[in-house]
Amino acid sequence: MEKENAIEVRNMTKSFKIYKDQAKTIKDRLVRAGSKPEIKTVLEDINLDIHKGETVALIGTNGSGKSTLLKLMTKILYPNKGTVSTQGKLTSLLELGAGFHMDFTGRENIYFNASVFGLTRKEIDKRIDRIIEFSELGPNIDEPVRTYSSGMYMRLAFSIAINVDADILLVDEILAVGDQHFQNKCFEKLEELRDSDKTIVIVSHSLDTVQNLCSRAIWVYHGRIQLDGDPAYVIRQYLKQSALDNEENFSKNDGEESHKHAGVIHIDTPHNFESIKAKQILNVSGWAVSTSKKETIEIGFDQSMNPVEKQIARPDVYEVYEEEYAGLIKDDILGFNIQIMVPEDISGDARLTAVLKADGRIIDRKKVRLRVEE
Amino acid sequence: MSLFRQIYQYRELLLTNVKKDIRGKYKGSVLGVIWSFLNPLLQVFVYYLVFPYLLGNVIPNYLIYLITGLIPWTFFLSTVTGGTRCIKDNAGIIKKVYFPREILMISQVLSGLVNFYISCLIILIFCLFGGVGISIHVLLVPFIALIQAVLSLGLILILGSIEPYIQDLEFIVQFILQMGFYGTPVIYTITQFQNAGWLLKIIEYNPLTVLLNAYRDCFLYHVWPDMNAILIVLAGSLLLLIIGMMIFRKLERNFAEVL
Repeated sequence: MEKENAIEVRNMTKSFKIYKDQAKTIKDRLVRAGSKPEIKTVLEDINLDIHKGETVALIGTNGSGKSTLLKLMTKILYPNKGTVSTQGKLTSLLELGAGFHMDFTGRENIYFNASVFGLTRKEIDKRIDRIIEFSELGPNIDEPVRTYSSGMYMRLAFSIAINVDADILLVDEILAVGDQHFQNKCFEKLEELRDSDKTIVIVSHSLDTVQNLCSRAIWVYHGRIQLDGDPAYVIRQYLKQSALDNEENFSKNDGEESHKHAGVIHIDTPHNFESIKAKQILNVSGWAVSTSKKETIEIGFDQSMNPVEKQIARPDVYEVYEEEYAGLIKDDILGFNIQIMVPEDISGDARLTAVLKADGRIIDRKKVRLRVEE
Repeated sequence: MSLFRQIYQYRELLLTNVKKDIRGKYKGSVLGVIWSFLNPLLQVFVYYLVFPYLLGNVIPNYLIYLITGLIPWTFFLSTVTGGTRCIKDNAGIIKKVYFPREILMISQVLSGLVNFYISCLIILIFCLFGGVGISIHVLLVPFIALIQAVLSLGLILILGSIEPYIQDLEFIVQFILQMGFYGTPVIYTITQFQNAGWLLKIIEYNPLTVLLNAYRDCFLYHVWPDMNAILIVLAGSLLLLIIGMMIFRKLERNFAEVL
């Protein structure tokens, strides 16, 4: 292994055997003896150097093999061919809370969890104040972990993992921990680690984060490294390819009964349980995204549905679905805003329905419950 | 060699795991850890009440005889059953984090060993007040227990690493241990099987028979145990340990995939 490398991958291939059903008893094994498993190659002939001090992102669609690559780096999985070697102490934020024992206090669990990362008692003693402070758990640290809310649990787990001071930090889908305040704090901590001599490898779908945090992006496509370089460039190319793939997938099959479109519709106003008056004009706004180019949207009370056109720019929505619906949502005109007449024959409870259709089939539907006042 | 270095580096994990094994199991119950000592004692009293009727009063100091057999047997039983299930029970953590998996097995044996050493104090109390007394020979007990620990570790390295692949194993082990209880002079003496033919041979070649005899020589009969037999068991246990480590090494690579 070369000295300036933190992670070295050489001619590495990883495949999984896939049985229709996992055989775990002798009977299953005997019954299965004749049938051959399907071998699925997840990563093929990967060569990769990650230098010390780099902050690298792995990007790719779901199932492209990027998470598997991360697991191979942590030595949870082993390659079928080739090698994956690392240099220095390695921590991964894949396993927030690994080794937690519910009946023990937060403080005791810091020792359990940190010891899983290979820290000795002395090393943990040195860090424990920093960990408790970072977690913002205060006096709760001496309560059993089973009394914690899920937010507190994750906060403690994240605080331990990030304060281990590993040379290599592997992160899978970061910053979904705690409230906005804590997320910002974690992000700052990651920036601080990036600017030190630590090596960080991140798997993320949040392309913004990747661009802000990383100095290098690696795009994993169908089990191979497609592109490796500056994040801005790699992300651009990745989105282009995703757009092509999506287009091919969905346009080719547009109109075919067998193909399933997906999408989301959302009503911003009116809110649930808002009061309205009969025979008045009601403002309805919201947004929708879908994989179909021939989507239709209908909004209305019960039987009287009105067709709706999207015409409002929603960059906030676009940003969220940009990757998932790459090439399918062309620009950021995703919102709608219409006036509809509240019919006179409804009273008491009313339901406003918004329906998103493609190929004549409903792919998403939202309902808002309203109170009609006399 | 790198394995030993790794285990040394992860010594805190080993230590917390041992603590968790000893304390965690009974956390929440009123008597807590005391249960791990009370359990075999209660068993002793059940056998003490019932078996004289079945066997006749042929074993002198039967109460001490039972305790010196049942407590080491409990050590063996709990280590092997726990160790067989160990990898499966820790599936969550194994699928998520890297650490030397051997730690799980070693801590399983170590917690059993610590438990046993504490139980030895109870045996000594019974010896003192049961009219048997204590002699210099008890100094050998910790070493016999160590041999038993090596034997158990070798066994569970093999059993525990096969279990995730074939989960029937745990039930087969359960059954064999049940037979083993009767194949080891825990509640009877080997002299009662003098005319048993091949059955006697099995009991005699059972390494646990050698160990149990040694414990009793030290606690009960105040003589030095049969050193030749003990050294043979030690050599066999070390061999088993090496084989176990090799099998474990081979099988651990796919734990995360099969669990």
